[in-house]
Amino acid sequence: MSGPPDVPALGAPPRIAPALLRVALALIVVYGAIGAGLSWWQVVEAERLTNDPGDPLLLAAEREGRRGRIVDARGVVLAESVATGDGSWTRRYPHPEAEPILGYFSPDFGSAGLERSFAAELLGARSLAPGGDLLRKLRSDAYDPQDVQLSLDVRLQRTAVTLLKGKRGAIVAIEPASGRILALASTPTFDPNRIVDPDAGAAYFADLLDRPAEASALLDRATMGRYTPGSVLKVATAVAGLGSGAITPQTVYADQPAEERTGFLVEGFRVRDGHHPQTGRRVLDLAGAIEVSCNIWFARAGLDIGGQRFLAWGQRMGFGEAIPFDVPTAVSTLDGGDGFVDEVELANAAYGQSETFVTPLQMALVASLVAERGTLMRPHVVDELRSSDGRVRTIVPEVWRRVLDAGQAETIALAMQQAVEGRLGRRFAGAAKVPGVPTAGKSGTAELGGDREPHAWFIGFAPVEAPRIAVAVIVENGGAGGASAVPMGGELMATWLELAP
Amino acid sequence: MSGLAGTADRRRPRFRRREALLLGGVSGAVACGWVSLASTVAGGPSLGDPSLLLAFLGLLAAAHVVLSLAGSRSDEVLLPVAGLLMGLSLLMMVRLPQGLVVQDFGPLELGLAPLQLVWIGLSLTAATVVAVVLRSDLWLRSYKYTWAAAGIALLLLVFIFGEETNGARLTLRVGPFAGQPSELLKILLVIFLAGYLADNRALLAARATRLGPLRLPPLPYLLPMLAMWGIALAIVVVQRDLGAALLFYAVFLVLLWVATQRLGDLALGAFLFVVGAVVLYALFPHVRERVEIWLDPFATAQGAGFQVVRGLYALGRGGVLGTGLGAGLPGVDGHPSIPAVHTDFVFDALAEELGLAGALVILALYVILAERGLRIASAARDDFRGLLAAGVTLVVVVQAAIIVAGDARLIPLTGITLPFVSYGGSSLLANGIALGLLLSLGDTRLTAPPPPQAIGRRERWRDAAGAVAGRVERVIS
Repeated sequence: MSGPPDVPALGAPPRIAPALLRVALALIVVYGAIGAGLSWWQVVEAERLTNDPGDPLLLAAEREGRRGRIVDARGVVLAESVATGDGSWTRRYPHPEAEPILGYFSPDFGSAGLERSFAAELLGARSLAPGGDLLRKLRSDAYDPQDVQLSLDVRLQRTAVTLLKGKRGAIVAIEPASGRILALASTPTFDPNRIVDPDAGAAYFADLLDRPAEASALLDRATMGRYTPGSVLKVATAVAGLGSGAITPQTVYADQPAEERTGFLVEGFRVRDGHHPQTGRRVLDLAGAIEVSCNIWFARAGLDIGGQRFLAWGQRMGFGEAIPFDVPTAVSTLDGGDGFVDEVELANAAYGQSETFVTPLQMALVASLVAERGTLMRPHVVDELRSSDGRVRTIVPEVWRRVLDAGQAETIALAMQQAVEGRLGRRFAGAAKVPGVPTAGKSGTAELGGDREPHAWFIGFAPVEAPRIAVAVIVENGGAGGASAVPMGGELMATWLELAP
Repeated sequence: MSGLAGTADRRRPRFRRREALLLGGVSGAVACGWVSLASTVAGGPSLGDPSLLLAFLGLLAAAHVVLSLAGSRSDEVLLPVAGLLMGLSLLMMVRLPQGLVVQDFGPLELGLAPLQLVWIGLSLTAATVVAVVLRSDLWLRSYKYTWAAAGIALLLLVFIFGEETNGARLTLRVGPFAGQPSELLKILLVIFLAGYLADNRALLAARATRLGPLRLPPLPYLLPMLAMWGIALAIVVVQRDLGAALLFYAVFLVLLWVATQRLGDLALGAFLFVVGAVVLYALFPHVRERVEIWLDPFATAQGAGFQVVRGLYALGRGGVLGTGLGAGLPGVDGHPSIPAVHTDFVFDALAEELGLAGALVILALYVILAERGLRIASAARDDFRGLLAAGVTLVVVVQAAIIVAGDARLIPLTGITLPFVSYGGSSLLANGIALGLLLSLGDTRLTAPPPPQAIGRRERWRDAAGAVAGRVERVIS
């Protein structure tokens, strides 16, 4: 405790007891920090970790457990667990037409779609009761599988799949006022019953995986497919233009209509139009440009909006990020994700060419936000979760973005009605008209270059006032929009208005 | 207890009442855990086969009885705390797939849980024997360089003959016995450090009165620090054992600071740590990989980050109250869902089944260990004992902090064991010895320390520089 007496210069070193007290305090701080870190994982992040579809522990529990049912909006069973007789469960899918959004669950090949993203609920690993996750360990049955009710109506879904039969494409139908997905189809599709079949599943799944990407049946084109939109994007450009103030409903351009014959030269690239035989000497405003789908008008509008503002307004509509949805979604872009390199790219993007790549879901949202007069509801396909003890969690529709002023949206809505019902518009999108119901829409023909057939597009909604359904339809390499996608959109909307009067 | 008590009285058996009460509580808790686990496994109320539980409780009781009979007047909280940690360990080992570790003893083939019970018995025996037999610390303090030499020899043996476990060269095999010497090394190292620092404190602490701020510290001060730094680096490079290196260096630094109480020492030590860490990061891919996993384990969830990600999933599944013993998924179909779930990741498995509540209890147990150990250190009658008690406490609780923080992705993961909980004979034995040393040092009957010797500075120099070689030569000849 004291220094060596014969070296007095050194003096006595300090006592160690006070230092030990500080060491103890430091240890308490360290352990406190560790405790805080554990709390982070076990409280704050616990739910995200537990419900992460990549969690192999969840998969292990899935292998043995019964899963809840997935039912459509009217309670029609889309997926259910049936006992195999040897103590385990297998999945049965009475309505394969609900694929691929429904997904599949197979102990051998994993899971996809809603079966994957709602695994925790279907398995009951996440409780509906308040504090239920805390109390679960006190219960005899640790898991309480929940039923998942969708907003999807299997009758409309069947219509959509039938319309697309034999073609490659996708259809998204959405209720504009709530964001509820009414139908979501993608073809070619697959039969989940064959994937979960213990005998034939391996061969079938291998065959599905073997197909080239463009023919893939496992890919959900509606949420993950990225397509050149062509003229249906003009609706988004109109939203950006009116919203940013770059255009007004009365905007006309000086060189019209002569320029429509010669083309509009942007930095050496000539934007062309083909509607002058019909429009003749007429000068087009916004409604006219949408009705006859004038490329030059929108190219000029795009240049007036400017790249920065176009992207910013695109972002408000959902472009540039994955749309928050119940299954994973691909990112739609106006600029290919790397900015507009020059005026040519911007001008072409404004009417849906160059590097615009969009998902059908994104285009359905554009139609939906015009239908809902500027308000974009968060899209969702799961309406309700129900546990066996009668607890219900309803997913309340919520506003995702307020994109546009209602008056400006009204302008676009009426222009889209003119595109379906107007004297000139009828030639392009008249086939979308729901008999007896005011209908709005916009057709598109996405040029792909080379000698590939263009993609055929349609987006629209009906009725024009208080719309009950908005749709996006794409038929891959379907030729001109008016030929294939437009009548499909019309029939789909008509079917829904009949089903849900 | 009482300094007035006569010698004869001090040798008489003494009932350790508080220890008995606490051990009663611990036994009850472990028994409850056992019933809970057995009932979960059986799907209804069940006791399972309680032989392992009874054997464990018997071992705890035996340790208590021996300490009481020997009349120990030491701390009565340490044994119950270690006992509870061991009990949790046993429950987890019973619950994990038994095939994780299988060892043959002649015709007897033992799985994970029985083996761990053997190691727990070994650990408790070591603790009790050291606590009862070690009546004087003279042989610890007089032969400190021999201890250091033995430690370094052990290290060299591992460097040369060690076998790889999970990419780290840790295991030394002699015939049928395999062990991880770095566990034992930490005890040897602490004994040496306590001796060295206690002898040289005055010199080390007072140097500033003799030196300007810009001049180098005296060599005897610099030498051990550089040596420790070198040893830590060597362990990382040759053994690839980041955990042991971090532990040794951290404990050394804290003890050095306790001895000198100069913040400059901490600063210099931290600086050397940063230099070492940067150099190692730049030169060695296995160090880099650890850091990358730490920064984003999910990026390589199916590859390098697999273990950490699965550990995090386990933490998340545990939530606040846990899944309950036996109801979690640390093992699936006989395969551990987290690699090394019985050793490095045992904490995550416990945190999954016992929840945040249980995890915090485990942390609290180590904090109690720290408090009791440092209390013994402060009450010690001389510096050697104080530093030794503090060092022994630190190797246990700092090691626990390093591995738990690694398991919870708060620092890069370094593979070391969780004291008293992880599976493993070496670990349990070494920590048992540490427990025994603490019990012994806290015993008021320990013989009075020798008077401080008046050693001249020249002799000190010789002592410091030449003693290692001298001792080793003497030992060999």
